[in-house]
Amino acid sequence: MSAAGALVLAACSGGGDDAGGGEPGSGGTVDPDEEISLTVVWWGNDDRADRYEQAIELFEAEYPNIDIQSQFQAWPDYWTARATEAAGNALPDVFQMDLSYLSEFGTRGQLVDLAPYAGGELDTSGLSDALLASGQIDGAQYGIPQSTNTLALFYNPAIVDDLGIEPPTADQTWEEYVAWAAEAAAAGADEDPRLYGTGDFTGVLWLFVQYLVQNGHEVFTAEGDIAFTEQDVIEWLNVAQPLRDADALFPAERTVQLAPLGGFTVNEVASEFSWDNFLAGYLADSGADSLEMLPLPVPEGGERNMFFKPSMLLSAGANTEHPEAAAAFISFITNDAEVGSIFGTSRGVPATESARSQLEAEGADAQVLAYEEEWTPEITAATPVLPEGFGTIEAEWLRLAEELGYGHITPEEFASQWFAEAEIALG
Amino acid sequence: MTTTNAPADALVERPSLRRARLRESLAGYGFMAPWLAGFFALTVGPMIASLYLSFTDYDLFAPPEFIGADNYARLLSDPQFLQSIKVTVIYVVLGTPIKLAAALGVAMLLNAKRRGLGFYRSAFYAPSLVAASVSIAIVWKAMFIDDGVVDSSLRIFGVELGGWVGNPDMTMPMFILLAVWAFGGPMVIFLAGLKQVPGELYEAAEMDGAGRLRQFRNITLPMLSPVIFFNLLMETIGSFQVFGSAFIISGGTGGPAGSTLFYTLYLYQRGFRDFAMGYASAMAWLLVIAVGLITILLFRTSKAWVHYQGDAK
Repeated sequence: MSAAGALVLAACSGGGDDAGGGEPGSGGTVDPDEEISLTVVWWGNDDRADRYEQAIELFEAEYPNIDIQSQFQAWPDYWTARATEAAGNALPDVFQMDLSYLSEFGTRGQLVDLAPYAGGELDTSGLSDALLASGQIDGAQYGIPQSTNTLALFYNPAIVDDLGIEPPTADQTWEEYVAWAAEAAAAGADEDPRLYGTGDFTGVLWLFVQYLVQNGHEVFTAEGDIAFTEQDVIEWLNVAQPLRDADALFPAERTVQLAPLGGFTVNEVASEFSWDNFLAGYLADSGADSLEMLPLPVPEGGERNMFFKPSMLLSAGANTEHPEAAAAFISFITNDAEVGSIFGTSRGVPATESARSQLEAEGADAQVLAYEEEWTPEITAATPVLPEGFGTIEAEWLRLAEELGYGHITPEEFASQWFAEAEIALG
Repeated sequence: MTTTNAPADALVERPSLRRARLRESLAGYGFMAPWLAGFFALTVGPMIASLYLSFTDYDLFAPPEFIGADNYARLLSDPQFLQSIKVTVIYVVLGTPIKLAAALGVAMLLNAKRRGLGFYRSAFYAPSLVAASVSIAIVWKAMFIDDGVVDSSLRIFGVELGGWVGNPDMTMPMFILLAVWAFGGPMVIFLAGLKQVPGELYEAAEMDGAGRLRQFRNITLPMLSPVIFFNLLMETIGSFQVFGSAFIISGGTGGPAGSTLFYTLYLYQRGFRDFAMGYASAMAWLLVIAVGLITILLFRTSKAWVHYQGDAK
């Protein structure tokens, strides 16, 4: 039945006039008689590979003349490999793209502008304009958002219970959250292992970005420059200063030792900020019975102003010989209902209604869906456009946060060192 | 007849000899050709390219843009670059001598005639075969974290160091231990060297009443000095290039707090994380120059302490 549904969708995406002329998008259509081979690459793990394989099988049944060659790498190796391929003009036909790298590749002519295929092979009608815009640079559609996520405050009710304190609330301010974390750390001081309320959340660049948006600041200018000041950075870092002073933050030493796990996933920290689609992973790693999700705290006198970020996009390499087939593949993965149910929320909440339609909403998937649904009215801001080199300044932020955690630098030094690096990285 | 012809024959033979030699060397170059082609295409070519890139701003995507010595100038004011030099130099200066001392010590133990010697030699050599591997780096990390084998064994003796992995002051000892643990390579070379020392020297020294220590200082060390020199050179150069273990143990970050930011790791970060290939190339060339200078320095000082047999000294 669902295969039939896929057929209908594909037919829709082929455009009203199924003559195969590719008229609507004028981007050309797939020749059904040509044997085409596409390379498809993503970052992820075995679980994701398994899901992609199932989705690809559906696609190949739909387009018997297209053969998909797929492979995947872990996140850091993934970008090294893509950079080298880009230098050699040998990018995959279709590959998973992250917002942090979209400018890097897009502005340098490494990606196919998919806009001409929209309405033809590529059905983008199910995507909201705001979301679609996050894959655009200067009007060119370099990536098709696959799914959305937004930040959330996770907390572990079992630990909160253990500590004998009230759980955090949805309408708290950042200050109140910090006070709550201090209370949690004080209550957990005598436990073995010692329990904490939170880790140093100011070390997450995306949270700072979110904080700026909450306070009505622009984050990056359209030219790709930084639109905030060292003072803004210091102010943000100082949000957690009371916790730093009281040794009430999960220690940096332990964080380093636990990597790739974290204090929250080993059940020594009561709360942590992260992207909402991390829920399933958190549940699996921590073995917790349940985890609760709250929206971000509100700044004093500011707005909630949360935003949906495309958790990943699909792009086509500019060197592809079959852009129309690539567009068809991207369209299928983005819209097909059965593909949607194969991935669930493992890549974030599917971006299109059609991909969500057959989602078997249970367990973590249901909770993430419910979270995004419940707080949609609060998710009002647009995703900031990220400059080229965002990956670098994000890594530098993380490095300095570690130095700060070890007490090697002050928030002031953090800010000045980060700006020095950012000036070079952003050119 | 023969006598008169002989000089003439010799005259005739000379060009043919030259031709034979030429043919021989041509054949030699012919056999070397695959290697030469590889050497120029895969070593010399990329080196020249990287030297050029070190004077450019190159991000892998856009064509390189010539910026003169800017990369080199920027390096001098880059705190992370200075940190990476500090980390690497400490590692080389502390790690190399300790590793060589361990190698020599064990080599001397294994030089004696004992039962099961073959087994011991293999057992001591084995770690160096796997030390550079990813799996050992992971094992090493597991051993030195909180409640790891090392932490809990030390605690039995009342030493409370906690996990070494997360403590910026303890990561360097951990890396040096990893290097020292893999002393098998130089050990085998030391063993070969020890076998070359004539036994009569020791017998003579013993007759003269020299003790073990004296024998070691006046016979073993001088006789072994060429081998020590060779090992010192190779290990120093190798230490400068340590990368794999640092990459794995710190997850590619050089952390905690920059304490494992080895030179090559930082170079890799700049090149492949930040796409600053020009900058990374400049770093690579500075490393080549530094290692070159240290090699020259070692050769210079070696005249004072390395004794070759048959040297008229």
